[in-house]
Amino acid sequence: MSSPNDASAVVIGILALQGAFAEHEAALRRLPLKRQIYPIQVRTVEDLNKCAALIIPGGESTTIALLAKLSNLLEPLRQFVKTKPVWGTCAGAILLSQSVESTTAKKGGQELLGGLSIKISRNGWGSQVESFEAELQVTGLRNSQQPFNGIFIRAPVVLTLSPLPNDPSIEVVARLSPRLLPHNISGPVKDDDPQTIVALRQGLHFLTTFHPELTADDRFHEYFVKECVLPQVTVP
Amino acid sequence: MSTSPSLQNPPVLHGAGTPDAPATAPSRTQRDGSNSLGTFGVKSGLAQMLKGGVIMDVTNVEQARIAEEAGACAVMALERVPADIRAQGGVARMSDPRMIKDISDAVTIPVMAKVRIGHFVEAQILQAVGVDYIDESEVLTPADDEHHINKHNFKVPFVCGARNLGEALRRISEGAAFIRTKGEAGTGNVVEAVRHQRAVMSEIRKSSVMNEEELYAFAKEIQAPFHLVKETARLKRLSVVNFAAGGIATPDLYQADAALMMQLGCDGVFVGSGIFNSGDPAKRARAIVQAVTHYNNPKILAEVFIISFCLVRVANQVQISEDLGDAMVGLTILKGGRMAKRGW
Repeated sequence: MSSPNDASAVVIGILALQGAFAEHEAALRRLPLKRQIYPIQVRTVEDLNKCAALIIPGGESTTIALLAKLSNLLEPLRQFVKTKPVWGTCAGAILLSQSVESTTAKKGGQELLGGLSIKISRNGWGSQVESFEAELQVTGLRNSQQPFNGIFIRAPVVLTLSPLPNDPSIEVVARLSPRLLPHNISGPVKDDDPQTIVALRQGLHFLTTFHPELTADDRFHEYFVKECVLPQVTVP
Repeated sequence: MSTSPSLQNPPVLHGAGTPDAPATAPSRTQRDGSNSLGTFGVKSGLAQMLKGGVIMDVTNVEQARIAEEAGACAVMALERVPADIRAQGGVARMSDPRMIKDISDAVTIPVMAKVRIGHFVEAQILQAVGVDYIDESEVLTPADDEHHINKHNFKVPFVCGARNLGEALRRISEGAAFIRTKGEAGTGNVVEAVRHQRAVMSEIRKSSVMNEEELYAFAKEIQAPFHLVKETARLKRLSVVNFAAGGIATPDLYQADAALMMQLGCDGVFVGSGIFNSGDPAKRARAIVQAVTHYNNPKILAEVFIISFCLVRVANQVQISEDLGDAMVGLTILKGGRMAKRGW
């Protein structure tokens, strides 16, 4: 892989062990930004050490975690999450969670990276026939009045928020209408229930349970770069 | 078939045996009013999430769990692996839905299952059971020698095999959201899969430099819809994910075959019979998963191979290799004939 031609370019890694990493890379390359960003695919510790920020893509969270372990990336990733901005989409969102609802996790448990003070449930809606698209109301993005077409594929559901007093606060970026929540969620769900949250930010980190990388709308990528990544990078 | 199968009235499950068999997946369409389920975006999107991964044939819950622990991104639930279908002959049909359901309950990764070419009722049943992907497969005995399933009628996505660009685009026009090569399953010989992948890539490259008049003629020549030919030429790749399948699992060096297919431009691989007929399925499965991720890094591939060579040596010492030889039908002989010719 060639090096960035501009020394001040910000290297953003995309964890490329398995899943839709190429789509994130393409979306980052499409962004019209004043500051040059340089996306690279991350498969080894050497790749990770070059990055100022990281995107963990959609895919299978069990596969990505196992490959990270076999590539000796698990601990370096946990250290990375402590100091640098990370965005997880779908499987990536599961890996960034503090805990996974045990009934939905792989039997025998699964490895997580942590970073976000949330509990998440895998495959919240059930099998693929329940995967769907929905218009989302967003806040904080460019043209926020314009809804975002969220593509939910065997998507996880945020169950509870559990920030400790010293943790950064959690900002909700997008919610889903309560009537689109899975059937197995019992009782009436209020509009501000955590289970309706499909995009959130906590400190350096960003989470989406759906797939902005599958649409041509780059506003979530722009948000991550402008709000989470660039403020952390000091100009050399 | 004019309407999509009703989720409220599950079809009678022949062979399932119990009246309380598979519950239907609830649908949110009634609640929502607008139909956003099963769009082409979520169908092809799931295939995109499987990229860079390995999909493994499994015949029971134990094998499915081993595959999940080894890092498979999905499993293909089968009653008989292709090597056995070849060896035993007879009509090969859809698997028992109860077995598929047991596997779905045991793992968190997507579960796929095969239906016979053209058999849309088998597909309706699998959709009602709640499988995540259907493979309309030449490995099973075709139910229709002229028509494939109209895959637009389903909420569940389909993967189909293709030997060349024309066949791939015909399947996409019927609604397939995912394409794979039609290598000869159960032979352990990768040559057919290589031929198909080379053909698809070469035809795409050719089309990418054609002008519109030439594209019209080319679409006619390869018997594919013009708009799909034009789109493919513009993208310089298929508009859906493309995996390698068939003959990728030779008894020993199968990681090399998997990495070969990835370097030829495949997005991931299906592997079959080899893994669970081998000495240490968990380690072999893990090795092939690593080989697909690091397909472009010979240094890591070499490390993976060294582990694999050790396994083969151990297997030879404990005489497992003889069983292995039986299970893999043969390296060049296509017992049972070429399956890739099935599909129209």
